[in-house]
Amino acid sequence: MSFYDSILAGISLVGNVDAFLSLFIGIVVGVIGGAIPGLSATMAVALTLPFTFPMQPINGILLLLGVYKGGIFGGSIPAILIKTPGTPASSATILDGYPLAEKGQAGKALGMALWASCTADVVSNLSLILFAGWLASFALNFGPPEFFALIFFSLTIIAGVSGDSLLRGTLSAVAGLILATVGLDLVYGTNRFTFGDSNLMGGLNFIAVLIGLFAIPEVIAMAWDPTGHLGKARSLGKSWVTFREYKNSFFSIIRGSVIGVILGSIPGIGAAPSAFLSYSEARRTSKNKENFGKGEIEGVAAAEAGNNGVAGATLIPLLALGVPGDVITAIIIGAFMIHGLQPGPMMFVLNVDIIYGLFIGLIVSSVMLFAVGSVAIRAFRYVADVPKRILMPAVLVLCIYGVFAVNNNIFDVGVMFAMGWLGYLMLRTRIPAAPFLIAFILGPLLEDNFRQSMLMSGGDVAVFVRGPITWAFWTFSLIAIAAIYKSVRTAKTA
Amino acid sequence: MLFNGLNRWLGVFTLIFSAFLAFYAIPNWVYSPSNIRNIVLSPTFWPYVLAGILALAGFALIITKQTPTSDGDTPDIGGMLPYVRLVVLAIIMGLTMYLLPRLGMVWTTMLTFVATAFFFGTRYPKAAIISAVLVPLILYAFFAHVAGVAIPQGNFVRLP
Repeated sequence: MSFYDSILAGISLVGNVDAFLSLFIGIVVGVIGGAIPGLSATMAVALTLPFTFPMQPINGILLLLGVYKGGIFGGSIPAILIKTPGTPASSATILDGYPLAEKGQAGKALGMALWASCTADVVSNLSLILFAGWLASFALNFGPPEFFALIFFSLTIIAGVSGDSLLRGTLSAVAGLILATVGLDLVYGTNRFTFGDSNLMGGLNFIAVLIGLFAIPEVIAMAWDPTGHLGKARSLGKSWVTFREYKNSFFSIIRGSVIGVILGSIPGIGAAPSAFLSYSEARRTSKNKENFGKGEIEGVAAAEAGNNGVAGATLIPLLALGVPGDVITAIIIGAFMIHGLQPGPMMFVLNVDIIYGLFIGLIVSSVMLFAVGSVAIRAFRYVADVPKRILMPAVLVLCIYGVFAVNNNIFDVGVMFAMGWLGYLMLRTRIPAAPFLIAFILGPLLEDNFRQSMLMSGGDVAVFVRGPITWAFWTFSLIAIAAIYKSVRTAKTA
Repeated sequence: MLFNGLNRWLGVFTLIFSAFLAFYAIPNWVYSPSNIRNIVLSPTFWPYVLAGILALAGFALIITKQTPTSDGDTPDIGGMLPYVRLVVLAIIMGLTMYLLPRLGMVWTTMLTFVATAFFFGTRYPKAAIISAVLVPLILYAFFAHVAGVAIPQGNFVRLP
């Protein structure tokens, strides 16, 4: 299929009201979810996932991508207004956004956040369109040993989502890998940790595990401290961002977008480090560097460009290699699987219409994000007023329906509650949940490709270094491990 | 106190759990055909590898630099009351599981909504009750009539 045929196939798939409505609703839900502190973009994507079951695959995935993109921007609203980032990615936005809000210029900061976010989103989407296809065509040469080496390398992404302790992140990942072994053996079909229960033979339901890990702990945390969330939102003020201010910050925005694209396309680094790197580069080179941290509009622009530049780029490894770039794309992989799609190089051959449909949807999403974001900035006062002690019971009920709907099985609801308590225990002991989920997804792929490689080679481990692709991934893994080791040593000596 | 660091506590627990996996759980709960020639293809191989990595992680946690046990992210609230609240929430979740197949999902989740909202001490009781009725009904309407999911109806009042 030629390039133009692919584009036409994509247009025929998304050229209808349903697709754009899904995307629009997704962005609205994402902005609201990201704007409510404690809900987060991750939880918003997880809670939206069950609603995609009855939808066409392309519409369902566009809905989730809308939530993802809306959520990343939405997180900046409470970061600026109440000094509470709606998502970890918005942490850097606080540095100059909140001081601007204190000066009565919250509207200006939010406006710049929106302009920078949308610009970075366009850059990120274009990079996805340019690079994902190229990477996928390269990955068509992969066999089980190459995929094993790739997934092993991808597991080093756990370092990026481990928070303040790599060891606790590793512990979390190994726990996820162990939980992924529950079910029938992939080769021999024998029982592993099923206790004779037919509910466990297919393994633990992915949706139950992820909603349990990410949504239920917030409900449990509410029981621990029902009044901990109480705060007060600020007014927006009368000062709005001007085109001149946008033009003055344009170089920082583009640089932040490129930083976001580069860091986002490497699995595991995520939006928060990108935002901080973009911010620090802007501060280092700015004419107003002494004003950074005191309410500099360019600081808001750089931070938001850095975190939104990641949003399209994290889809590069997801679509081209089938490897999640961060925890939200890990959830989105679940949506692909539920709709019978397997992200990876073969998708560019078998489902090229969906790939190009997604590309078209993503380009439109930047425009929609701008429109929705403009309204959301003014409407935040109403969003912030949703009482959390009513919101959390609603989240609990939504989780019950969503998890049940996957397999029509009450057992899955029990799994979700159990994972929720495990997630809360992990929260209290500062064990990050993201490595657990990523390892839970990658675990079966890692084991499956390992055993397929061994079957292919008759048990000869030399198959894992059979060609330049495997050598490259082992080299990347060694470099990643060395970098992790160095960063741990640096942190210890600091 | 013998163990005053979070990592050390986690390390000890991890070591015990990895020993439990290696010496009890895998031999008893993972079934492997007897005619496998290559050990790496056995269904038990991967779980044993993971138990080994878990033991290494546990050992590393014990010998690594310790961090205080107090939780940085979750507010430290004195007294037993927060723990009592956790127990109450666990009971609500347990009752929800018990009632789901008996009362049906809609009625059970209405009760769960009201119970949790009042348990959390909502300042808007009327809004909580209205939401407790509307949210499960809207979700039922979507999942049952749009998504085609067979939502459990229970033994008593059945919805269209």
